[in-house]
Amino acid sequence: MKLGSIAATIAFAVALGGCAAQGPPFERAGAPPGRAVIYVYRPYSFFSSAIHPIVQCGSQSAAIEPGAYHAFVVPAGPTGCRAGTETRDEVEIDAEPRVHYLRERISWGWLIGRPHLDPMDHDEAEAEIRSCCVQQQ
Amino acid sequence: MPFKGRLIGGDPDNLPPAIAMSLARDSQITFSYREELTHDEHHAPMLLSALDPLSYAGYPMGEYEVTASASLLISDGDRVIGGYTASSRIAKPYSLFSEPTHRELDEAARAAVRQAIDRKLYDDAGRLAESVAGTE
Repeated sequence: MKLGSIAATIAFAVALGGCAAQGPPFERAGAPPGRAVIYVYRPYSFFSSAIHPIVQCGSQSAAIEPGAYHAFVVPAGPTGCRAGTETRDEVEIDAEPRVHYLRERISWGWLIGRPHLDPMDHDEAEAEIRSCCVQQQ
Repeated sequence: MPFKGRLIGGDPDNLPPAIAMSLARDSQITFSYREELTHDEHHAPMLLSALDPLSYAGYPMGEYEVTASASLLISDGDRVIGGYTASSRIAKPYSLFSEPTHRELDEAARAAVRQAIDRKLYDDAGRLAESVAGTE
């Protein structure tokens, strides 16, 4: 009985592992001159793995899976990024032609998890994105 | 400001009010303004928030923090006549009932640091005026 419970727990954990996104590892996106790259990445979290809110940066949008990232290549200049479910988070990025990072995090909500787009420092974000996230397919 | 100046660094749409009102295209006085935001946040573990009855009563589940740092350099030709730095920190908790957006916090931090630079400028206005008058 005990052995059965352990096996079931392991099988459950393995099944959960399958919820994380699959894809090629992090690779820098090329951007033409006068454009900025905004990486939005989402470290895997079990509690929010079923929720895939749409993230919009400028005129582009993507639903980022847990454990994945998406590179938004946008025209340089002020660009708004937003994501929402029962509440909405917005970030205004002064997108100079360089790289910016946002970490998508889902917090507890009444009926559904709430997305947050946390602006991240370059060094911390680059290390984290390489270790946590694969390219969104 | 007791004089007008030319903006050589910074975004004309994002300046402390005192500088924004003192811009002129053809002045030998120059302004260079720089602003930076750094973000931090603290969150209670999701499982704890979910199990904690206080969460459902509006107890904070975490906090966002933004620090805006600004620097302003005023030069008269090659001579620096004023240098000012300021920083301001805005922290706001979030709960199931209220949640600030990052944009709101960023705007509040920017407004606060610009006010801080403005205050320093007004405090130093007399010296700046003398300094500019001395070179004319």
